[in-house]
Parts: sequence; C-alpha cells; structure tokens
Amino acid sequence: MKRGIHPELIELAAEAAGLEAALSRRGFLMFSACAVGGITALGLCEAFGADAPLVILDNAKGMLLADPTRCVGCQRCELACTEFNDGRAQPTLSRIKIDRSLYFGPEGPTGGPRMQGSWGNGLVVQGVCRQCPHPVPCATACPQDAITDDPKTGARVVNAAACVGCRMCQRACPWNVISFDEQRQKSSKCFLCNGKPKCVEACPAEALRYVPWRDLTREGEKGGVLLSLIPANKAKACAECHVPSGRNPAAK
Amino acid sequence: MAAATGGFAGKVLRVDLSTGKISTQDTVEKYGDMLGGTGMGYRVLWDEVPAGTGPFDPANKLVFATGVLAGTGVPCNGRTAVTTIFPTVWPKALVGSGHMGGQFAAKLKYAGYDGIIIEGRADRPVWLFIRNSRVEIRDASRLWGSGIRRATLEISQEMGADCAVAAIGQAGEKLAPMAIVANSVSHSAGGVGGVMGSKNLKAIGVQGSGAVHIAGDKSEWEKLVKFHLSILGANNQHVVPSFPTPQSEYYNPGSRWVGEPGKRWGAAEPPIEITGNIYDLNRIAFRTNSAAFFLGDNAWKHTVRGNGCTACPIRCHTIVKVPSVAAKYGIKEMGQNTCTGLLFGRSFFKKLPGGLKGQTALEACMVGMHLADDLGLWCNYGQLQRDLMKLYHDGLLKTKIGSDEYASIPWDKYEAGDPDFLFDIIPRIAERKGELGHVLSLGTGGIFSKWGVPEESWTKDHASLYWKMGHPKHHANEDDGQCGVIINTQYNRDSQCHSHCNFVRNGLPLAVQKKLAEDIWGSADAVDAAGNYTPMNAAKARRARWSLVRKELHDSLGLCNWMGPWVASPLKERGYSGDDSLESKFYSLATGRKTDRAELDLIGERIFTLHRALTIRDMGRADMRAAHDLVPEWVYHDKGDTPPFTKGTIRMEQADIARAMDLFYEVMGWDKALGAPTMESYARLGLADVGKGLQAAKLTPGSTGGSTGGTPGSKG
Ligand code: SF4
Ligand code: SF4
Ligand code: SF4
Repeated sequence: MKRGIHPELIELAAEAAGLEAALSRRGFLMFSACAVGGITALGLCEAFGADAPLVILDNAKGMLLADPTRCVGCQRCELACTEFNDGRAQPTLSRIKIDRSLYFGPEGPTGGPRMQGSWGNGLVVQGVCRQCPHPVPCATACPQDAITDDPKTGARVVNAAACVGCRMCQRACPWNVISFDEQRQKSSKCFLCNGKPKCVEACPAEALRYVPWRDLTREGEKGGVLLSLIPANKAKACAECHVPSGRNPAAK
Repeated sequence: MAAATGGFAGKVLRVDLSTGKISTQDTVEKYGDMLGGTGMGYRVLWDEVPAGTGPFDPANKLVFATGVLAGTGVPCNGRTAVTTIFPTVWPKALVGSGHMGGQFAAKLKYAGYDGIIIEGRADRPVWLFIRNSRVEIRDASRLWGSGIRRATLEISQEMGADCAVAAIGQAGEKLAPMAIVANSVSHSAGGVGGVMGSKNLKAIGVQGSGAVHIAGDKSEWEKLVKFHLSILGANNQHVVPSFPTPQSEYYNPGSRWVGEPGKRWGAAEPPIEITGNIYDLNRIAFRTNSAAFFLGDNAWKHTVRGNGCTACPIRCHTIVKVPSVAAKYGIKEMGQNTCTGLLFGRSFFKKLPGGLKGQTALEACMVGMHLADDLGLWCNYGQLQRDLMKLYHDGLLKTKIGSDEYASIPWDKYEAGDPDFLFDIIPRIAERKGELGHVLSLGTGGIFSKWGVPEESWTKDHASLYWKMGHPKHHANEDDGQCGVIINTQYNRDSQCHSHCNFVRNGLPLAVQKKLAEDIWGSADAVDAAGNYTPMNAAKARRARWSLVRKELHDSLGLCNWMGPWVASPLKERGYSGDDSLESKFYSLATGRKTDRAELDLIGERIFTLHRALTIRDMGRADMRAAHDLVPEWVYHDKGDTPPFTKGTIRMEQADIARAMDLFYEVMGWDKALGAPTMESYARLGLADVGKGLQAAKLTPGSTGGSTGGTPGSKG
C-alpha cells in the first residue's frame, strides 16, 4: 500500500532527529512501505509496529486560494462541490464552506461592529482546506490512517473504505473544513476534485483560484486547536522525530 | 424511497397555530401535480380556505412554498412564494402571493420541506423553530415589538448562525396590509406580513443539514447547469451590455448589464476593478450592479459587492457602504437591496438636491432601506410613495386628515428633499399612526374606501401608474404593448410577471428578437419594439399566454421569474437564442421523471388556471372580462395626443385591446365573453374537480346564464 511518504521528507526527518547515520535510505523506504523487518533493528518497531501509522505526508502540489473581498456569497462553489461530485445539493457536505459565514462571519450574530457577512460588513470569508503540510492535523488525528495524500495532486483525501466515521479528523482540523456525510457515515474533505476543482470553475466572481501549494496554515484565524488530537500510537511516532532538544543527539 | 423523489424535499409541513398541532404530508402525492410554490399555495386555498374568508381570519392560510429546483445549483433558484388571501386587493381581498428570494427556500429544502402551511392563530406571539425534523412553536413574547433585524439576530443566536429567518416587523405585528415578511437582510415578500401578524407568528427560523437529491446522472446535470450559465445575461436576462465594447456585436444603454471593464467595486477592501472578458463565466457576478443601474455612476464607489439568492450568479442585490449616513442619521453605513426596495426612500421625493442620482438620493435610499426593511413596510411596487405624492400635491391630503395631524408632518423636509423626512413618514405608516398612517398602511384601496376618493382619479392619471384593484402596473404597455396590458389584467395584485419584458427589453435589436420570436412563438409578429407598437395579432396572444404560464412555472419551481425565462442569450454563435426547454430539462434530471416542455407548460397552465378559478370563486362571479380584467383609462391616452400605433407613444387603442383580450381568451381556451375558463379547459388541465365545484356554484360559462357558451378548448 502506497503511503505517499516522500523519501526526501523522511531523510529530512531523520536528519532532524539525528538518526541519519544510523539509518539507510533504503531502510526508510522500507518503512514507508510498511515493511517492518528493515526497521526493527533501528529501535523504531515499537513506535510503528506491524501496521505502521502514517505520520508524514508530502506537501500537496496544488491548493485553493480564496479571495474574500470578491466573494458574493452565492454558494455556487458549495453546490458545485456536492452536486457534481456527489449528485446532491448539500452545503453541509460541501468541502468548501460558505454557508456558515454568509450572514455573520466568525463572530456570529452578535450585532456588534465586527460582524461580517451580509448582516455585517458584507465580507464572506470562504472556508477552504489548506492541504496542510506535516504534521497534517486531520491525517494525524485519524486512527484508521484513512487520510492519505492523492498521488496526482497531493491533496489530503479520505479513503472512504478505511473511514469508520469517528469524526476525529473533523475535530482535529484547525480550519473546520472537514465535512461529515451523514448519509454515508463517512468523513469527507476537499480532494481538489482530482486536479480540476469544480468550485473554482463554478465561481462567478473569480473569488477562487487553484494555485501551486504554499503554506497558508499560519495565516488567518484558525477555527480549532492545532493537533489537539493525536492517537497514542502516533504520538509515539511523533516523538521519534520530534526529540526534545536536550535529548537530541545532534545537540550534543 | 427518498431517491425516487429527487428535486423535491419530500414533505410539506403543516402547522396549526390554534391547536399547536404539527404534521407533515407527502409533497409529491399531495401536490406533485402542482409542483410547489404558487401551485401548492393555490391548491391549499382551493381545498381548504372557503370563499369569503378574510385575510386576517384564522381560517385564512399562509402557504410558504418553494419548488423542485430550489436549493440546487440551478442558476437563479432561491424563491419562496407566500400565497394567501392577499390583504391589499381592493375592494375585496382575493388570492395573491408575495415572492421572496434569499436563502430561506434552500434552507427549507435542506430541512426536508417543500413548503409550510400555516393555519389558525396562536393565542400569544410565537415563532416557528425548524431544524430538520425537529419543529417547535416557540414563545415570541420577547421578540414582539422589535424590528426584523433584532428578531433575526435573536433567533440566530438561539438557533445558530446558519439559520434563515423570515420575520415580520412592527408593520406586520400591527396587521398592516402593506407589510412584508423578510429573510436574509433584504429579501421580502410584500403584502403577507400582516397575515403573519394576524396569526401571531413573528418569524420562522429554518436550519437544514440535508440534501436535495439529483435523480439523474450527475455529469449530465453538471453539463446542463454549465449550459444554463453560458446563456445567462445580466439582471432581467438582459443579454447585451449597456456599453459599447469590441467584445460585443451589440450594446443597449437601457441594459442592466452595466459592469463595464474599468468600473470598480469601490467600497470593497481593497477595491476590485472589473477587468477582462465580459463573457467569462467566472465574471458573471460583475455584470450586474443594481445600485449603479438605478442610482448612476456615483454608486460604483459605494459598492462593496453584489448579493442575492442561493446559487444565483447574477447578484441583483447590491451591498453599498455609505459612511456619510452614519454621521448624518446615526444609521448603519451598510445597506443592500434592489429595484423598488433599494429605491424605497428616494421614491418618496419628487425632487432631491443633486438630482435623482446624486449623493442625497443615495442617502435617501439608505435611510429608506434602514427603516422599511426593519419595520417591515411594503411599497407595493412604489405605489405607496406615488400615492402620498399625489395626495399631497393634488391637495387631497389636507382635506382628508385633521389639521393637527397634517401640521405635525414635516412637509418642509418633504419639499426640500431632505431624507430626514423619512424618519417621520415611514414609521408613521408602518406603525399605523394617526389617520394618514392608518390609511396608507391599507394600500391604495384604503384611500378609495376610507377617504371616499374615486378610483377614477387614479386610473385616469398616468403619473400614478395605478392599474386596478389597489395595485400598480408591472411591466405593462410601456414595455410590451398589448402583451403587457393583457398580463396586467390577470392578477389580483400587480402582475409580478417578467417573462414578457425580459424578452423585449433584453437589448438585442428588433430584427434579432423577431427571428427568435419566430422560433418560439411561431411568428416574428409576436414582438414589437417598445413604444412602437403595431395592432394586436394572434402571435402576441400566444406570447402573453406563454409569459403567464412561465411565470407560474417559475414561481412553482423555485426559479426566479425576474431573471427568466432564458430564451435569448448573449451567444452570437447561437444566433442569440437561449433555450425554451431549459426548465423541463432541469425538472426531468432533478426528479427523474422525464418531462418535456409541453408537458411542463401544461402544469404551468394548470397553476395559472387554478388562480383564475380561485379568483372567480372568491369574487362570486364568472364575468372576469367585465369585472376583473380591467385596464386603466390612462393606457388609452397620450399627453401630446399622439395617436396609438405611432412611434414614440405607448398609447393603446380601446378596440384593439378588446381584440387583444378576445385573442388571449381564445388561446387560453376560455369563454370569450366572460373571460372565464370553460369546463373543457378545466378538464384538459386535470382540474375537473375545480370545474365541477364552480359549475355547482354557477360560476362556469354555460352555468351562469350570462354566458355565450364555451368556446372549444384550444390546443394544449
Ligand atoms: S487539517 Fe483541515 S485544512 Fe489541514 S489538510 Fe486537513 S482538512 Fe485541510
Ligand atoms: S476542490 Fe473540489 S472537493 Fe475541494 S472544495 Fe472545491 S469542489 Fe469541493
Ligand atoms: S462561488 Fe465564489 S462568490 Fe460564490 S460563494 Fe463561492 S467563493 Fe463566493
């Protein structure tokens, strides 16, 4: 099973952990392919086990870039997302989020001066997936490793067959852009429409663009707490790379 | 199974406010043959509201209904029809509907309902909470007395930010016939707010997380939606720009397609300049700017963005930001609306400093929207303001209200065109204060009934734009000669039909329109240039019939008849044609029931005919031609006495209009002398039960004594 872990990333991680001397590139490749044998000797077997958890995803190739000042709140993107992909019109299922910001924005119906949306200053801030870099909050939170990167676009996608509908990813996403499909009892997130985003095509105000990926996870207000949810087995895996500075062999 | 009812949400919600009983019915089973919207509304009134019921009687029902295509990605859906015994119809309230856009329709569908039937009367103020299958009647005592804005905020705080709230303001609470219900800031249905008030229903909050299923193949659906987008023009389906550009073969200064490259949404932060190809489907939202169309170039710099209904790329509402009003009047600097709602404040004034497109005019609009859209006052398509103007300038008002009351009104500000006047007059009418407030809140009919002013003083005065039965003209002979006249005779309120004028005003040269007309209505003679009319012919009658049928179809499918139908397009490569079968294609794919244009048009005709039947039943007479289908005197006159059928006049000729009505009744298959549907037409339309009911009451041709007997039904 292809996990989509880029070899260079693994090397980088190993370097950061001061383990590069102890590990062969081949060893990491084997690890990325879930072959336990090659890495047992490296002391990582406890962390990864036979069903190695996914920790690192390569950066996405593309992403959606939204311009709120152009958004006219028509929801055509939301409807294109669900009608053309799922055969039903359902903004709550949409992987781009307009509806929730339409009337009041993130402040909600306070009546105060900071209210956005049509009842406030008019601004509608689209909620879009950042296709986050490592550590990808939704993918990391998933206890089933159901969120992986699509080889074509690098989009973080939900493998519906593996998704058990626990909604951990939904809670982990700091941008609150994971949807839950009640009908199928599966999570659903932006998969960049396999490289031809329907929402971008649908927008009548040029408010959405499909652009090469860049890190937007540090910009704008987040809706949740970053990495609040890490399954225990993954926390161990994280600790292998994220070594406290005092224990980092490179620091000695 | 749910999958079998694609398009439809599946259920109709019924709420009896007298007993508190909440129930549901299967939409398709009960109302499928009427689609939804006005069709559902008329059916409920026919089946359940006895003739003679007054608008504010608990026995009157209020039907909020949307349609199959609402909540989907079909462009320009998002409409809810609110059908009831309409209180501003004069001299007697009759069936009518208000239509609102916004997000209410879509939310209702996502909650699982195609419509809500409100019955009875609550014994205290309540509001209706709808969250998917959870429906509750909640206490509204703390909301009563507050404006639409506050009521919406409080309900949104209770339900969550993603609910759509349709609320009435103080005007509705006070049972003003001239009251609206409004949702999503600026989307209102006129005339029905007081009916809500009479039921003690302050608001309906609706939140839905479900789906509207598309029964057909999703890639076919995607193709059809994209095709529809490609044939869209701008507001009112004006398909050529208002400005010359090398990109377009034609332009027309009257077009509402005003988004010329180089113009800017000046109040966006940062401002947005319109650039590039005007036909780009990713730039449709820049074509229309209602504020700039109605208020001139000055409005561009105040434009924040366009706004509008679910899934509509046109964005006919414009959000404007006018900081000066915050300082001068202490109101919010943001405002939004379109057409007469946008112009609510300005329309009061004959003259304004700086003219009708100056900064004061814009400020008057801001104050007007601030007050009217919160108090929930309706303008009756501008008739309210024209009535006051006429009453004042003709000196009538002085004789009708007490001198103290007269003196208490700041007429100096009125004369000076000072928007501050609005802070006196709008609440006066909305809250029904004094004699003036009370009478004007009744609508134009109130002036005739309460003050004994003869209706002729309105019907003879072209400037009043008054048509009949308490309501003004709505795209009549000024836009579309005899076709416009016929259409304006058919309803109990203003006709609310745009199928006809959206074609003749689409901006294309007459020769191109005539070519399209040949394809659609079988003859190039179906259209004239506006203000250059030829005598009546059968093709115009067919076009009038088609227009009315499409209007009812749109109102029952959840589509916007302000934008449709889409029979012309901006596409040169298509010879500027649109698609006359678009609605049936969408209906077929959404529901999975294969339906063609003729079949769907037949449903539209059924709906329109049921409206007619209800009118006949409730008027208690079948001689519609003489008693209902009236044309005001001003239509037959011209200031300069230019004869009819001369270029430059919209004057009609009496004998020609009589012939127009003859031809129209003929294409409808109605009795010509009475202007009433025959038993054959009821049967042909699947309304045999309706026909029988009317026959029993001697209200069908042949049963009335005064009839010439039925003319044979025309082709379907
Ligand atoms: S955490 Fe949220 S924003 Fe980041 S990739 Fe996952 S869904 Fe997208
Ligand atoms: S790219 Fe596709 S999946 Fe992602 S939000 Fe847009 S339409 Fe939805
Ligand atoms: S389609 Fe474009 S303008 Fe419309 S809601 Fe989405 S981002 Fe905004």
